[in-house]
This record gives sequence, structure tokens and C-alpha cells, in this order.
Amino acid sequence: MTARTSVLLWAQKVLQMKDAPPHTLLDVRSEATADQVSDAFQKIARMAHPDLHRSSLDPQDLELVTSAYGKVAGAYQELRTQRMTTTKIVPITRDAPASKDAPASKGAPAPIAGQRMSAPIKAQSPSAGVPVAAPAAPTSGAASHSMNSKALIHYRKAEVALRRGEVRGGVLQIKMAIAADPGSPFLRNALTEIEAELAKKP
Amino acid sequence: MSVALGIDLGTTNSCAAIATPTGVEFILGPRGERVHPSVVAFPSSGGVVVGTDAKRYKLTEPHHVIHSAKRFIGQNIRAPLVQLALTGVRYRVEEGPNQQPIVVVRDRRMTMPEISSNVLLHLKRCAERQLGTPIKDAVVTVPANFTDGQRQATKEAGRLAGLEIMRLINEPTAAALAYGFGRDRQQIICVFDFGGGTFDVSLLRLNGEVFEVLASEGDFFLGGDDLDRALGEVLAAECNRILRIDPRPNAALMMKLMMGAEAIKCHLSDNDAAEGEIDGLEMPGTAQARLPFQITRKQFEALVSGYVNRTIEVTRQVLAGAGIDASSVSEVLCVGGSTRIPLVRQRLAELFKRAPNTTINPDEVVSQGAAIQAGSLVGNLSAGTGMGARDAVATKGHSSLGGGGNVMLPQGQVKRPILMDVNPATLAIHTAGGFTERLLDKNSPIPIERTRVFTTSRDNQTRVEIDCCRGENRRYTENEPLGTLVLDELPPKPRGELKIEVMFRVDADGILHVRASDQTSGARQEAHLQVLGAPVHEEPHR
Repeated sequence: MTARTSVLLWAQKVLQMKDAPPHTLLDVRSEATADQVSDAFQKIARMAHPDLHRSSLDPQDLELVTSAYGKVAGAYQELRTQRMTTTKIVPITRDAPASKDAPASKGAPAPIAGQRMSAPIKAQSPSAGVPVAAPAAPTSGAASHSMNSKALIHYRKAEVALRRGEVRGGVLQIKMAIAADPGSPFLRNALTEIEAELAKKP
Repeated sequence: MSVALGIDLGTTNSCAAIATPTGVEFILGPRGERVHPSVVAFPSSGGVVVGTDAKRYKLTEPHHVIHSAKRFIGQNIRAPLVQLALTGVRYRVEEGPNQQPIVVVRDRRMTMPEISSNVLLHLKRCAERQLGTPIKDAVVTVPANFTDGQRQATKEAGRLAGLEIMRLINEPTAAALAYGFGRDRQQIICVFDFGGGTFDVSLLRLNGEVFEVLASEGDFFLGGDDLDRALGEVLAAECNRILRIDPRPNAALMMKLMMGAEAIKCHLSDNDAAEGEIDGLEMPGTAQARLPFQITRKQFEALVSGYVNRTIEVTRQVLAGAGIDASSVSEVLCVGGSTRIPLVRQRLAELFKRAPNTTINPDEVVSQGAAIQAGSLVGNLSAGTGMGARDAVATKGHSSLGGGGNVMLPQGQVKRPILMDVNPATLAIHTAGGFTERLLDKNSPIPIERTRVFTTSRDNQTRVEIDCCRGENRRYTENEPLGTLVLDELPPKPRGELKIEVMFRVDADGILHVRASDQTSGARQEAHLQVLGAPVHEEPHR
């Protein structure tokens, strides 16, 4: 009974802290280390993880606890990322969240595009229909226009593999390129062509 | 007390178990098997056949046997990798409403959740027969990198099978739970899950009853099936060379070769060479023929090393992403049948400088974890009297079935496990200029909730479309679209004046809920996201 009451009180407290900085939600000092942050979150999880209250709370109260827990999880993620990417401690200004929540007020390019008819599909280069990745001697130059950089890395690896005669490795790299850039018809055509070549060869 | 089933719904095989006060008990099939093939057959003779019995129709009626449904469940059929995977199956798949794949067998059209629900129903019936009690609750496992649509579709499959899916948990987390439950471990472990159709790797920090996932990464289209296919194609080439018949256009023949390849692969895990004949090949025009083969483990390893290298590369990325050194990982758990391949274990040992844990059964450990979580959620781990719902007790002992390999629950009082899983992908929305604004990062703990306020980019704009996507890229079009949320009839205001609050929540099942509301107008209108490829419900969710 006390566990139930205390978790509800905690949830209400968290949900009331609207624009509180993340460390307040986790109840740690602003200069807490990564380990302290992680321990604080585990402590909260031991008390407030929604799974623990599944059977003891009614749906509305459970929703309250879930929402509060979700908010704290977001705060934890924010602090954790900060501590992983920066070595020095970042001072958190108290008035920051207000301006952060409304990107337009500080001129950040984040507003929603208005009245778009459809998502702009990336224009395909006219050569895209004619892939040049034959297993024997793929030409490299034309590739860069129709895939992203990550896919291109895999595509280059595929070329190297195919030149060495490692067909399996080449096909795998092409598939990985497709995974990196699912929208590129060039890559799909390349794969189809290699597989057609493979099918011809005994 | 109600009984809840833990189910590992796999690409090729499924497994189910329940937590009893004395240990985890497996659900057996009609022939006493623990592992149930995730195969659904619609034979010409009528009816629906599931599991071990369905597998034999693969040879006689390949077009009527649905396997690997997990590769398509909840997927957008237009996704290139889905198209690629479709080339590997012999049954017919068409595009249905909301871009979901629809299986067509003769004149019957079925969604992927319907197919998978047959597997779940089969397990449910086996369990009911074995336990003599009706079962309505279950915990089902999914790959860690399963998307929102795939998770929703899996839940839908449960619903169709008459099961309430209390929770979807990630397979690696389930494995970690089976490994660490009640043992009060303090360590960092790596779960390497290389199954029939999917691959993922997770890092977890175990801290008593808390199982915190630190990072997780995977490749949804990489699994044992790919290894079979690589070997199967070598066999097909041999068939062409020796028997002078190209088996490729012949579905039944190819299926036979693939099954042969799978058997050879498994044989090579324990032996240095495989030699023999695949018989019963029905060639057009001739009588039955035999295909001799001779493959060494070295040849096989050369064939699949690209795939194995990829899994090791992903593992390296996960370690780097989480900022954890391989040496601080004190246990490597192997999950999924493909981890039986010696090359995989060897590479893992090289990376972590320690041999992976081989004492667990890679096919069964996931369902054991699911069973523990299911038991925990219904409070069934408790066997003592006078115990609160939050205290669970399990006593040491074998399953009533014996046979070894069962999880033995520790003696005495154990705390209810707390699973802190992560969100598998970065979730973002489309903003002006074709860029994205991230709302939830990959590997954030779930359940999680984040709200951001956005505004309009034009004067007197009365409608906003919020395109949601998953992926890391800054450019919207480079990511995978999830769906669009529309807020209509907004009050005309100069640009930048409207405040639109967008809330992203990923629940404990890993399912995304997006809500947008207009904060300025008194009427707070709200919109919810329908993910592409997800099953279309007759009634609204929840």
C-alpha cells in the first residue's frame, strides 16, 4: 500500500515539473557523473518501473506512472548522451528549456514545412536505369550520384570484391549498400544484374 | 492462479515455455518436440497444418507452405529489402491495404499476422493440452531491432490467436533474463543472437534484479537462412554441372536443395567434412536422380565468411557506440541456432578474448526468458504464502519433463526482474528544408516519452503534415518513412505563432505512439500515427 502511494506521489511530482532540467527529474546534482546518473535512474526504475505496478494500479494511475517514468527516461538519455560525448561538464542554465522547446524563437531551422504536397522523392539520375555493375568489371564513376555516402562505401567494397572474383562478398556488400540506402534503384538494378549473371554461370 | 505462456516466435522455429514454481517447463509438440517449426501449410487436402507436420508439405506443395513469415510481418511490402527477401520464398505475396504484404494461397488471401497467428494458436493448443488449463496471456519475444510496425503486427497475431500479449520483449533481453534471473549478478554481458532470419547483438548491465540494456544493434535481413541459400546455390550449380539440369526455375527442386544445404550446414558444425548424396530429386523428364556432394568445413567457412564478418563488425560497432571496451564484457551469451557454427564462436572468442558461454541451449534460452517475464507479470513466480505481489519465490528443481537444459530457478526469495530495454532506432520528424528533427534517440531506455513544440513556417497556414521517420540521417529522404500525421483546420496565424506540441512515446513493448496537438487554439485537436505496413485494425488500438 505504501509502495503504491509513494509511486503515485512521485509520478505527480515529476509531471508537475514542466520545464525542469533533466538532472532535477533524476534527482541528482547538475554536475553528477555518468555513473551517478545511471545509478539514480536504476534507483527510480526499482521503485517506479510500470511493470512493477501492472497489477496494483488502476489503468489511469498506471498511465500516470508510465508517463512520469517515460519523462525521467528521456531525462536520463539526455544526461547520458551529454556525458558520453563531452568530457567536460556542461553547465545547464535554468532558463534554457523554454527557448529550447520553441526552436523558432531562437531561429533554429526546425519549423514544420507547410502544405507540402508530398515528400520530395530524390530525383533519379537518368543513367540510373542502366546499372554498370557487372561482376567482371564494374565501372565506378557513375555510382556516386544515386546513393548516399554510407551506401557508396559498401558499393565500393562490392566493386573490390567482385574484381577479386569474390562474388558472395560482392553480393553481400551490395545488399548492405541497399540497406544503407533503400531508395536507390541503381543499387537494386545492380543486384538484379549480378544475380542474373550468377544464374547464367554454372 | 493464471498461467502465462512465454513464446519465442522465430523465423524458422518457435519455442514456448511456462514458469512453474519449480522451474521452466517447455511446451511439447504432438511428437514430443520442444522446437516447433514456424511453418504453416495449406495442403490441397484441406485444412491448416502447423509445425513439424507442416514442414513435410514443403517438398510436395512448396507453393502452399508458408515459412519465414516473420521476415514479412509488419513490413512495408515496398521496402527494397522486403522485395529482396520475397525472391527467396515460393509462395505468392501481394500488396494489400496500407502497403502490407498479403499471402495468397489458391484463392485465400491472408495477412502476415494471420499466418503467424496460426503458429501462436498451435503453441497455445499444445500448451493447453499439456497443462490441462486454458491459456489466454502470453509474453512474446521479438528481435531487438524489430520496428514499430513489426511489433504491432506481432501483437495483432497474438490477438488473432486468442492470446493477450501482455508484453513484447526483445530476444536478447529474454536470453539475458534466463541467464541472470535470481542470481544477483553484477556484470556487463553481451548477447549475440544469430538466428534463422535475423541477427542482433546487445550489451546489458546486470545489477541484481535490474537488467539494463546499454545498446543494441542488428541486421534484420541476416540469418541462417542466408547461409543455407549461399550453400544451396552452390548445390544448384553442382546440379547443373553434374546432372545437366538447371534447378532454379523448379520450386520443389530448389526447396529440396535448400533443405539439403541446411542439413549439410548443421552437419559441418560438428564435423570437418560432409559427403553424401541428396536423393529423391525429381527431375523433369527423367526419373528420380541423386546429387552427390562433398563439402569441407573450410569450403563452407569460405562461403559464409562474409556474413560472419558482418556480424562481428556489428558487434564492434555496438561496443564502440556504447563506449565499452571488449575486455569489460565478462560473459558472451550465444543465442540462435547459427551460433552453433564453429567459425562464429571462433570469431567471437577472438573479439572478446574469451570463449562464449556454451552451456545454454541457443534454441531454447529465449523462450525461457519469456516464460520468466510472463510469470513475473502475472505474479506466478511466487510460490510462497504471505508474500506480496512484488516478491517472487522460485524453488530450485528440474522441470517435470527432465531431460536437462532446463533453467533451474534459484532457491529462496528472488525479486521481480526489472527489464530496462531500449528503443531500437532514432525517431524523427520532417522539418522545413527536407531535414529531420530527432525526437527519440536510438538506444534510449523504454518506456520513454518526449515532447517538443514546433511551429508553422508560412503565414496563415491551416494545415500541417507531420512526417515521421526512423533513421539516423539528417536528411528526411535518407530515412525510412513511418507515416504522416495531419493536423487540420488550424486557426490562420502569422508564421511562427502557432504552437504545435508533438509527443513521441515508445511504450514498454517498443511500440511508437505519436500525438500532435495544437496548443494555441482552445480545441486541442489530436492526431495519432498509423504506421505503414502495420496491420489495419477494425477498431482503434487499445
